Amino acid sequence: MPMRTEEQPTAIAAMCLRRTFKGGIEAVRDIDLAVSAGEVFGFLGPNGAGKTTTVRMLCTLLPPTSGSATVAGLDVVGDGAAVRRSIGVALQEIGLDPVQTGRELLELQCGLYGITGRSGRERAAELLELLGLTDAADRRTKTYSGGMKRRLDLASALVHSPQVLFLDEPTTGLDPASRLTVWDEVRRINASGTTVFLTTQYLEEADKLCDRVAIIDDGRIVAEGTPERLKAEMGHDVVSVSLNGADPDATQSALAGLPGLERVMPEPGALALYVADGANSIAEIVRRLDRDRIEVGAISVARPSLDDVFLNATGRRLEGQEQSQEAEQ
Amino acid sequence: MTEVLLLGRRAVREVVRYPEATIPTLFIPLFFLAVNIGQVSKTFPSSTPFLRGQGYVAFQLPVSLMFAVATATSGLALVTAIDLGYFDKLLVAPIRRSSIIFGRLAADLVRGIGGSALVLLFGIALGAHVESGVAGAVVIVLLAAMFGVAYAGFGILIALRTRNVQATQSSFLLFFPLLFLTPNFVPFDRLSPAMETLARINPVSYVIVGLRSLVIDGWNAGDIGIAIGVIVALGAALTGLSLHTIATYDR
Ligand SMILES: Nc1ncnc2c1ncn2[C@@H]1O[C@H](COP(=O)(O)OP(=O)(O)O)[C@@H](O)[C@H]1O
Ligand SMILES: [Mg+2]
Repeated sequence: MPMRTEEQPTAIAAMCLRRTFKGGIEAVRDIDLAVSAGEVFGFLGPNGAGKTTTVRMLCTLLPPTSGSATVAGLDVVGDGAAVRRSIGVALQEIGLDPVQTGRELLELQCGLYGITGRSGRERAAELLELLGLTDAADRRTKTYSGGMKRRLDLASALVHSPQVLFLDEPTTGLDPASRLTVWDEVRRINASGTTVFLTTQYLEEADKLCDRVAIIDDGRIVAEGTPERLKAEMGHDVVSVSLNGADPDATQSALAGLPGLERVMPEPGALALYVADGANSIAEIVRRLDRDRIEVGAISVARPSLDDVFLNATGRRLEGQEQSQEAEQ
Repeated sequence: MTEVLLLGRRAVREVVRYPEATIPTLFIPLFFLAVNIGQVSKTFPSSTPFLRGQGYVAFQLPVSLMFAVATATSGLALVTAIDLGYFDKLLVAPIRRSSIIFGRLAADLVRGIGGSALVLLFGIALGAHVESGVAGAVVIVLLAAMFGVAYAGFGILIALRTRNVQATQSSFLLFFPLLFLTPNFVPFDRLSPAMETLARINPVSYVIVGLRSLVIDGWNAGDIGIAIGVIVALGAALTGLSLHTIATYDR
């Protein structure tokens, strides 16, 4: 049954969506999602969190083990064919055909969506121009750079101006310039009315690009909301004390009972103090360290970031995943 | 239907752009034809009863045609697409999944016609005479190409079931029992009893016999009819299984 909300059309809805792979791997564990039409929705999580599995279920490529989902008001299991007509998909593994040129690939893609003959050729040329691939249009895709492949893959997801666009890690492994191009393109697509469901491992991407974010970890959604709201809900600042060789345990006990202290997170070579009011805590922190004759390095205050939201929800940092992921590519 | 044509055109493009994948599949039958004839033409001179006055090349030609058309090209193309993620791209497009299979088979037909025509011309150049004439030659090429289409189902099935490049590559091993447990060197009645039993069970034998009858005997409705029946049955079974497998892929 298609599910509809009266006031705001729901572009994507998931109810208790679950996928267990052979061998009992619970990739996605009963997640609920509600993405409104016109949103850029970010699905943020580390490698192996279950992002791709979720996207594949929503795109009708993988049947859910249990639960249900609708995309554009259509059931992904019962109405797969109609869902496929409404969506554009750029998967994490760029599915480019090395045999064809960029132009041939897009023209074929147009044909598969029923845009044939001259309209297909025009649409392909238009998209090539839009994504800056006109010069490379008649070269085989295997000669393209990583950024060009991403852009072509994105173009191929757009031939039929889909209602809902799924992008699975569209910028992973891209250089900063290509990443910005993709961001611009996502904003442009969204401005034309397309709902975008985007997965990412990058906090900055979720923060800058997405209207709302869900953080997924180990198959579960652990936080959800606008980036601003998630950060505000943290309700504290982060004071970072660089240890500079000082003993972490001694430093920690010196700071125990600091007014407004909510939590101390040890980090390599530093302590992160979650306090209600960062600026006004610094004097007290310095006084206490002096009292115990502990010499530390720089002390800095930051407003909470999405990284802190992630840390708060999972007890781990997301950063660092990015490096290892890029090294793999 | 448009989808099948579009995907078929893409598959033909692949054949044309990667001649290195096709040339070996044609080199082997041409090579075997030339070498086998060189080796046994003294053993089987034109006076041999089953040759009906022709050279041994006429007898071997159908076997080489089978060699030329029975390939795992489509299976390999599919498993490569699965590997690269292009297959997912096709599955997520609003097309019937069967078009992916039929697109491949359409290209197999085109390639089969080209390949078997080449082998046939080579055989004629080596002295074979097609008793059934030009029309017979056309039927030979079409039947061989259709056999290639039917046979492609093996590679496609293995590709879709294993999703593994090595497994699909090794599917050519099937080729040996299918093409050699046949009356490929001598007629049924010259095979040892055990071999004859196996050859008579093997459906491919009847395709060889049918093609051979067009080369050596002229128009023999019985042999041709059985060959067509075998090709249609094999094609229907393997294509049916392939369609079922793609329809239930990840479902
Ligand atoms: N086809 C599969 N078979 C078995 N396990 C899988 C399969 N696909 C993904 N997984 C596992 O499911 C978990 C989630 O994977 P995935 O959805 O790819 O995460 P992400 O996209 O967030 O990196 C991982 O532990 C992964 O190893
Ligand atoms: Mg992934």
